[in-house]
Amino acid sequence: MALSAATTAATEALKVNRAPTGVNPQEVHRWMQSFNWDFAKNRTKYPTKYHMANDTKEQFKIIAKEYARMEAIKDERQFGTLLDGLSRLGAGNRMHPKWGETMKVASNFLEVGEYNAIAAAAMLWDSATASEQKNGYLAQVMDEIRHTHQCAFINHFYSKHYHDPAGHNDARRTRAIGPLWKGMKRVFADGFISGDAVECSVNLQLVGEACFTNPLIVAVTEWASANGDEITPSVFLSIETDELRHMANGYQTVVSIAHDPASSKYLNTDLNNAFWTQQKYFTPVLGMLFEYGSKYKVEPWVKTWNRWVYEDWGGIWIGRLGKFGVQSPPSLKDAKQDAYWAHHDLFLLAYALWPTGFFRLALPDEEEMQWFEANYPGWYDHYGKILNEWRALGCEDPSSKFIPIQWLEKNGHKVYVDRVSQVPFCPSLAKSTNTLRIHEYNNQLHSFSDDWGERMWLTEPERYECQSVFEQYAGREISEVVVEGHGVRADGKTLIGQPHVRGDKLWTVEDLRAAGCVFSDPLRN
Amino acid sequence: MAQETTRTTRRGLLDPERAAAILKVIPPNALDTQRRMGYFVEPRWKRLSEYEALTCYSQPTPDWIPGGLDWGDWTQKFHGGRPSWGNELTELRSSDWHKHRDPARRWHHPYVKNKSEEAGYTQRFLQGYSAEGQIRTMDPFWRDEMISKYWGAMIFNEYGMFNAHSSVVRDCLGDTIRSSATFAAFDKNDNAQMIQMERVFISKVLSGFPESTDEPKLVWTTDPVYRGARVLIEELWQGIQDFNEILWSTHCVYDPLFGQFVRREFFLRLAPFFGDSLTPFFINQTQTYFQTTRDAMSDLYLTTLCDDMQFSSLNRRFLRLWTDKWLSQTVTALKDFMGLYDKVPVIAGVTDEASVKEALTRVFSDWVHDYVDKIDGKVDTKKIIDLIMTGYK
Repeated sequence: MALSAATTAATEALKVNRAPTGVNPQEVHRWMQSFNWDFAKNRTKYPTKYHMANDTKEQFKIIAKEYARMEAIKDERQFGTLLDGLSRLGAGNRMHPKWGETMKVASNFLEVGEYNAIAAAAMLWDSATASEQKNGYLAQVMDEIRHTHQCAFINHFYSKHYHDPAGHNDARRTRAIGPLWKGMKRVFADGFISGDAVECSVNLQLVGEACFTNPLIVAVTEWASANGDEITPSVFLSIETDELRHMANGYQTVVSIAHDPASSKYLNTDLNNAFWTQQKYFTPVLGMLFEYGSKYKVEPWVKTWNRWVYEDWGGIWIGRLGKFGVQSPPSLKDAKQDAYWAHHDLFLLAYALWPTGFFRLALPDEEEMQWFEANYPGWYDHYGKILNEWRALGCEDPSSKFIPIQWLEKNGHKVYVDRVSQVPFCPSLAKSTNTLRIHEYNNQLHSFSDDWGERMWLTEPERYECQSVFEQYAGREISEVVVEGHGVRADGKTLIGQPHVRGDKLWTVEDLRAAGCVFSDPLRN
Repeated sequence: MAQETTRTTRRGLLDPERAAAILKVIPPNALDTQRRMGYFVEPRWKRLSEYEALTCYSQPTPDWIPGGLDWGDWTQKFHGGRPSWGNELTELRSSDWHKHRDPARRWHHPYVKNKSEEAGYTQRFLQGYSAEGQIRTMDPFWRDEMISKYWGAMIFNEYGMFNAHSSVVRDCLGDTIRSSATFAAFDKNDNAQMIQMERVFISKVLSGFPESTDEPKLVWTTDPVYRGARVLIEELWQGIQDFNEILWSTHCVYDPLFGQFVRREFFLRLAPFFGDSLTPFFINQTQTYFQTTRDAMSDLYLTTLCDDMQFSSLNRRFLRLWTDKWLSQTVTALKDFMGLYDKVPVIAGVTDEASVKEALTRVFSDWVHDYVDKIDGKVDTKKIIDLIMTGYK
């Protein structure tokens, strides 16, 4: 055997340590930064206008096996709670029906965000040059798969136990029918994965996760619990334990580009665009889900928004990044105005188009209306009166043949869709900051509802070409669209979407057809 | 009287008054009879598995990407107008990008549960191994030259393959493909870390053994033994755009040949002859991951894409094309690796020329059986092995 005398001598001099010895994860992780090597073709397929530093570290420093150990323990607690304790308590059917319907939307739409974040974190893993940074993004890729499956598990659990499984059992197929879907894709799907890699990171980690996961994943658990749902807190709070690492990834992304003075030219604009993009959808949708999708209220959405978005994120979190030249987005003050009224505006439109939902929506009862008026003075005179008029016209009763979108049309309240955010808005009824502006480009009309989105489109119109639901469905009778989108229950005739949460007086395809409601494109009529 | 608003939330399940009020408004009968989530998903096996229910159709692609359930355009595109996902991301075609299934039915929970068990057992093994002083049986030459440097250099081989998956996980067109690719990538990262874990462990029980990655990296970047492998890995990592070509070339050409030979036929086979019972412990975990990934890739390419009802012929042509393209570089990598036999003593039946040929034959035979035959490919194994053996001195 070719063994040098020197090696032999050195080896013999070594003293074997016979104490039981393992290797802790940090002892492996500290070498990770050296796993890279330089080579000529080493470039990313997802280039960024920013320059990410080669020596960027990650904060959590976990290796593959330690990651698995950590997540397996969390999974055991979570699934043990769900499949043992909560199942035996019958907790899957002891939440208020309004909230049970809200979770059809909340868990599935969050799932879409988590799913697309897999691809988004993978893009960053491709773009980063530092091994530790790549490792941090990899852990996030894995987390996002975890969260996708966790969100799905909520729908899965509800499908088995909740008294109305429709919508929980097929959200992935029926979610695309209604007007809330495309806007959700803008913030939670394409906004994360289509663009400059760092711009996508700003959307996902710096805004989506650092800002909106607090109300979406944390605050929602309090609303859930208040309304009898202990399923959602068990899962969502487990998700949130991972989000901290993702926020740290976002922080490290900024750290990795901060060394380059050129970054400051783009970063604040990208942050402002990302914040506006995310808030444009989440501010109204979360507020609507919490306040109109619950019986028992926790606090007015505007207060939640102010605490998590304005103070915690806009002040503290962004403040921490101030040393890197990051400033609070100028659009924050406009968003603050939307936090008061935008979700009420959106509920009117969502309810008006209830047959296109994969969930049941209910009008607020008398007690809830008083709560709205007490917390949003002036609410009743604007929204309450309309909702009561719809109720009086029989909107909940299939024999009425009345769909509220018909009332909007009849009274000249056109519903547009903002081309950039894909959020529907009704300029003649909105109390939020929405104002209509229309542009013609490539022989197509495009509607917008605010300055910030309009500016994004004017700069890069080729990025925002998606048709709205009204353009897609124009001229088609509503029941035809719903049937085509599988919005019908297992009996083949009853609609999944309903305008109330009772067990009787369920609308069928025939009832809907009898309403004679036809979609129209507001830009062409 | 307005409803109360309080920051002390009453829990609807536990507060008796509220719980009773909620129960009153819950209808006595279910409003729908379909209680299976994802009931519209075509099951691969007898019943829809939990893996399928939780994974299938989570990808929100429109119907112009086959298998998608959404409609219309992307709501935001790349600068210049490139779509989020599109059929142009790969040369292969599918009538349904959601058709692939991982035969191990892995979703996140079972995946991390398995790896967590391996993590726990690894630490217990290491403690037992060290307490027994088993390191004393490991040949110093094998330990300091082969394991520290040449097995250490495989950190970069595995790490490079891991990084080849980043754009795959970004670009692939189906949810089940995305999870299979991610788990394969995560295992590769784990493999790289396990090699370093072994090196760190030896350094802890044997003072003077270098835990630094400097020497292995020098071997990887400069030693002719790994020259072909390094060039190929760099190409896999960042030289390919097509997500299917990356997965196929990595898991169905390079790793089943070079990876299997180096791991199984060199280090795993030689280790016992040098008193090394430590390295096989780690390599066998790697081999378990290899087999699980092999099953997933076989399903994706052979079951799903090669037997696609519309695009079978086209897909097989591309897979043969990619096989030819990556085989020649893999052969070069193996030929270069033969130089390592020059650094170890000849062990009859293990490292002599005939035995190395046999080892190559085993690896190529497995590969031809697992992949080449199934894409109607033709490979002159004898000629290839003879070419590789020209590197054996």
